Amino acid sequence: MLSRAVRPALNAGTAVSARPVTANAANYATLREIEQRLKSIKNIEKITKTMKIVASTKLTRAQRAMTESRSYGETSNTVFEKAETKPIKGEDKKTLIIVASSDKGLCGGIHSGLTRATRRMLTENPNSDLVILGEKCKTQLGRTNAKHIRLSFAGVGKDVPTFAEALAIADQVSLLPTEYGDVQILYNKFFNATSYEPTPIQAFSEEAIASSPQFALFEIDDEVLANLREYALANSLYWALAEGHACEQSARRNAMDNASKNASDMINKFQILYNRTRQAVITGELVEIITGASASEE
Amino acid sequence: MAFAWKASGLTYNRYLAITARVVRRSLKEQPRLQAERRGEMELRFAKWEKSKQGENKNLAEVNSADMAEHAGKE
Repeated sequence: MLSRAVRPALNAGTAVSARPVTANAANYATLREIEQRLKSIKNIEKITKTMKIVASTKLTRAQRAMTESRSYGETSNTVFEKAETKPIKGEDKKTLIIVASSDKGLCGGIHSGLTRATRRMLTENPNSDLVILGEKCKTQLGRTNAKHIRLSFAGVGKDVPTFAEALAIADQVSLLPTEYGDVQILYNKFFNATSYEPTPIQAFSEEAIASSPQFALFEIDDEVLANLREYALANSLYWALAEGHACEQSARRNAMDNASKNASDMINKFQILYNRTRQAVITGELVEIITGASASEE
Repeated sequence: MAFAWKASGLTYNRYLAITARVVRRSLKEQPRLQAERRGEMELRFAKWEKSKQGENKNLAEVNSADMAEHAGKE
């Protein structure tokens, strides 16, 4: 909503500065207009600066949660690595894609990056269903790929994600009526403060786990297998949510940093324009007075 | 191996959530307040059918309702 508010001001800014200043000298209305715009840009700068500070403080917490959750996810995936589990690829087996985005915008292109990655996966493999976490990707994907969506969750990403959330989501996902041969969790992988990339984590179906080549290494009863699968899904979900959250905060910090920079650039430009116009008005007035005085002298 | 919680229709994740909640609630006052924040959940979810979004529902309530329904079947 803020970015939309900035844009008209930006357009107006270029329009005003493009106009030659001398042409409309001695015009009180433009002077007041410029003053008002200057004021509104200053307010916007204040808001973006505050949002940046908030995002920075949240970022440190989010990063800590991310490193903790990563160890959960990786440990639980070690089992499948050692067992050399492979997803079952078949004509009749459906793929489930879980997209881990969040509810809030104003953080650059991380949500649309996820959406694009999802669309790419859907074109490669049209026999897939979608489960979407977060409002942003829901609205984006709901416009184009509504027929694939099975579940959508809202209220994600208000704060650092908790394991209780991951458990509840995994519960609903495992209650879905269709059997899936392959589950992919799509999230933003955090490389550093400025780069992240949509990446899938594999989660496996019971069948896939049972048919993995090194499965005999582990002593797993058939009855416990379902539990293992559900728990692994929850672990991976938690990991994806926490890492996505950290990415979002850092992206928001960067976006707000850029917005504040742009705003201060515009403030400078408008300040100069304002001063020039003011001087032009004063000069115009002086010229009028002097010519009037010299005319009445004669 | 038969699990009592499985017989009553809970999934493993639900079982985990319940046991974790019990542990959190039985902590001492100071650590309990901290731990309870980790158990909060305000998720809402909606089922999609035929390209239409269904009703937005509170996840926690629906989950327990689903489990109850599940219990009846088994």
